[in-house]
Amino acid sequence: MATTTASLTISSSDISSDAISISVTETFHKAGTTIGLDQTTGMARKTFAAASSNQNIALQSAYTDDKAHKLFVRNPGTSTTDHITVVIASGHSVIGKLYGGEFLFIPWSGNEDIDVTTSATNMSVEYMIISEA
Amino acid sequence: MATTTASLTLSSSDLTSDALSISATSTLYKAGTTIGLDQVTGLTRKVYATAQSNATLISAASYTDDTHNRIYIKNVGTSSTDYFTIELGGSNIVIGRLYGGDWLFIPYEGEQDIDISSSATDMELEYMVIYQA
Repeated sequence: MATTTASLTISSSDISSDAISISVTETFHKAGTTIGLDQTTGMARKTFAAASSNQNIALQSAYTDDKAHKLFVRNPGTSTTDHITVVIASGHSVIGKLYGGEFLFIPWSGNEDIDVTTSATNMSVEYMIISEA
Repeated sequence: MATTTASLTLSSSDLTSDALSISATSTLYKAGTTIGLDQVTGLTRKVYATAQSNATLISAASYTDDTHNRIYIKNVGTSSTDYFTIELGGSNIVIGRLYGGDWLFIPYEGEQDIDISSSATDMELEYMVIYQA
């Protein structure tokens, strides 16, 4: 059984008068169990020469529905104005935008596709799925 | 200008034959700028005595459209079987499930509600929105 962990720290000394210092760690388990997730895509990187709309990075038909998959997506660029828009489902509902250096981390049930749209030429996206059968 | 950072680490020594070690850090800026986000809800805890279905957790009406906010949500329970389902928008598109101790971190444009459903009674979560006007 594989053991995979994710840790997140959010901190700020000046966004309010009470400093923010949140640190959390989770171990990835299969849905409803304490058995570790055991499959992964590895860290993938795609580069889009042209600005591109709704490019798939997580294909729901390749995964079992209603599971406890995890998805990490990162914009490895450095631009503060060019961005990757991460969308979900056939209607391409926007989860959010990732500017240069930004990332997201979500549980993904495998029920809906995850796509990305790039705002400029020559942009890359990095992503990884850690999943269960 | 406030400075808030988020750092993520993903690691595993045995998920594949190549050890996984990913680190990402970003400073939380307003959309398309290098100006730090300057508003925060504070870390909010909600207790649901009864199982919920499509209950609004974060209302888009409270945020300016097409802004670059961040959301952190954690299931603070310890159950490996009870979970929150995180949903996007009026059609409640399922993003994924948070079992006990699981969390997510996403950018948020403030255009669609974030709803939750819970699988059992007496479940608790924490969340925080870091945002711009």
